[in-house]
Amino acid sequence: MRTLLFLLASVPLAALALGVLLAGWIATSVLAITPLGVPALVGFRAAAGGVARLDAELANRLLGTTARPPLQSPGPSGFWNSGLNVLRDPAFWRQQVYLLSSLPLGFGGAVVAWSLLAASLGSLTLPIWYRWNAPELDGWHVDSLGRALLGVPVGILGLVILFGLLRLLDVFTRRLVTGSLDERPGGPAPSRQERRRSLTAHAIATGAINLFLIVIWAVTSRGYFWPQWTLIALGLPLAIHAWVVLVEEHPEIAERQRISSTLAVREGVALSFSVFFVLVWAVTGAGYFWPLWPILALAVAFAIRAGREFSRRGQRISELETTRAGAVEQQESELERIERDLHDGAQARLVALGMSLGMAEQKLATDPVAAQELLAEARRGTREALEELRSLARGIHPPVLTDRGLTAAIEALAARTPVEVDVSVKLPKRPPRTVETAAYFVAAEGLANAGKHANAGHVDIGVRADGGNLVVEVVDDGSGGADPGGNGLRGLARRVEALDGTLAVDSPAGGPTTIRAVMPCEW
Amino acid sequence: MRVVIAEDLALLRDGLTRLLRDNEFEVVAAVADGDALVTSVLLERPDVAIVDIRLPPTFRDEGVRAALTLRDRSPDTGVLIVSQYIEQAYASELLADGRGGLGYLLKDRIMDVDDFVAAVRRVGEGGTALDPEVVAQLLSRRKPLDVLSPRELEVLGLMAEGRSNAAIASRLVLTVGAVEKHVASILAKLRLPPSSEDHRRVLAVLAYLREA
Repeated sequence: MRTLLFLLASVPLAALALGVLLAGWIATSVLAITPLGVPALVGFRAAAGGVARLDAELANRLLGTTARPPLQSPGPSGFWNSGLNVLRDPAFWRQQVYLLSSLPLGFGGAVVAWSLLAASLGSLTLPIWYRWNAPELDGWHVDSLGRALLGVPVGILGLVILFGLLRLLDVFTRRLVTGSLDERPGGPAPSRQERRRSLTAHAIATGAINLFLIVIWAVTSRGYFWPQWTLIALGLPLAIHAWVVLVEEHPEIAERQRISSTLAVREGVALSFSVFFVLVWAVTGAGYFWPLWPILALAVAFAIRAGREFSRRGQRISELETTRAGAVEQQESELERIERDLHDGAQARLVALGMSLGMAEQKLATDPVAAQELLAEARRGTREALEELRSLARGIHPPVLTDRGLTAAIEALAARTPVEVDVSVKLPKRPPRTVETAAYFVAAEGLANAGKHANAGHVDIGVRADGGNLVVEVVDDGSGGADPGGNGLRGLARRVEALDGTLAVDSPAGGPTTIRAVMPCEW
Repeated sequence: MRVVIAEDLALLRDGLTRLLRDNEFEVVAAVADGDALVTSVLLERPDVAIVDIRLPPTFRDEGVRAALTLRDRSPDTGVLIVSQYIEQAYASELLADGRGGLGYLLKDRIMDVDDFVAAVRRVGEGGTALDPEVVAQLLSRRKPLDVLSPRELEVLGLMAEGRSNAAIASRLVLTVGAVEKHVASILAKLRLPPSSEDHRRVLAVLAYLREA
């Protein structure tokens, strides 16, 4: 019964959906030659989402599904991005598929099911009403009770078939609703398979609805071939969808043209619209070639986008050149420092140790007391050499950072400093290794600075996720005056910049000092 | 006393074996990785296992993980971790179960042979041996330790390392009686139950310090 109700209700909804789809795509394509195409697309997306939500609400009530289709497409903000987000949103395309298939399915299903119900009930009650209005089948009059009773099994058979049909429709509709309207939140980027499935469904739905309309055309007027309009109007979104999937699945398409995938999507969209305009021109009599103008506008818009991308790329290249040179130089001077530390520290100590041992060996027979003294000295020297090597190794890469992550490593750092330190690390998960190491060294350098130069009594170290960034902040209550051009901080800035991050040092004379690093980091 | 050694560097493994044999330990196995350690401990059931932290295959914290496995599967075997580094995170993980028979020392301490040998023995007997660096970090957490006198703090530190009253006395050049008096005063001030047994007292002190 509920399925019957759902089918009844979905007829007007399906008509509404088709209207929204056609109006949306036509409005978007007409406006596509101007920047207004973007808000049109975003508005269309919301409208399509709204209809889908209405449908889902109905299905949830009557069929027991739990779909709640989203009204907006996620993705980076910004005017131009908002349009691209819609085109790249699998949920949007799934909604299109649903709305497209709901027309033939709902309409066809409703007509068949309700007619079958009426016919079955009629047959079933034939013995009651044949008296007043004797029906006639192929010249066979139902004019006696015996004949009328034959209607009863026919009616029962009809009801059984209807029941089976409804079960089938119920299962199918539920799967359609769950498959195409369910939100999939929080998941990673849609898988290759999912994208392809949604494209296939879109193609099938487009084909089905066009077939449906052509059949209607064929059984009705057979005059003007009006389904060509839906063919063109629904072919456009299918072409765009196919292009988006193609570009995302085959990054080499964009790579071969040396453009970004975003630009490649724009390229496909512009091409699809151009073909659309040419087709519209062709079916409207192929007179004056007016599509030249919108195509020209699309080409100019595309050229502007491409130009911007290329100039941005130039900027990025020079930025990369600078930070790469900085990183290489930083590494070079770091290695130099390590070599110097080894040479002046542990190596020298080992030489001294060898000398003590040699002298002890000499004196062992003649002066055992002095020999013992020398051995004790050698042991002390060994311990000092070990301590030095340990702190040197820790300065290169602390082992606990790899094993236990930032919290443990920074807390260990804090425990080794005489200053009072508050550590707060709030991250959704472990950042990539390079970012984690850089964050650690920001904390280490900030802490060393606070202890050595600023005479700080208290330091706050905070590490947190902020959008697509990781932020490390070291704040001390010392006397300030940290020099961002000094060796330590400059090296740190280079390390952070090599990861596309920024390091800001705010240290007015008299304090307090804030060192803040922001590094991009995918969560 | 029977010992198993897990150390991947042959130079140190052999040196440690020789040092322990010279000091009348029976080294029943000397292995190079964590899995072999667990296998041989379960087979030999030694009094103490001496374990390096960084072991193959990943050279990260295999030793700590193997030690935790051993404490679970062979609770009567003492575990003494020796490492180039002292990390508070590892110390916390090892001390978490609040049981004795545990040590965590810098490899440097092996050079003080007598002290090191005493530490191995203590761990084998169910006592503890914590590196002064671990203890210093535990003490630096600014607990209400101000109530203790400097001398008491010193005694507390040595106690937390796992040393007996006699050892503390000889280290600080005091009589055992004087140390006992200090210990009683510390326990009273920190409101810890008095106990005549060294090991148990140490565990109570460690639990107190870790509560931070």
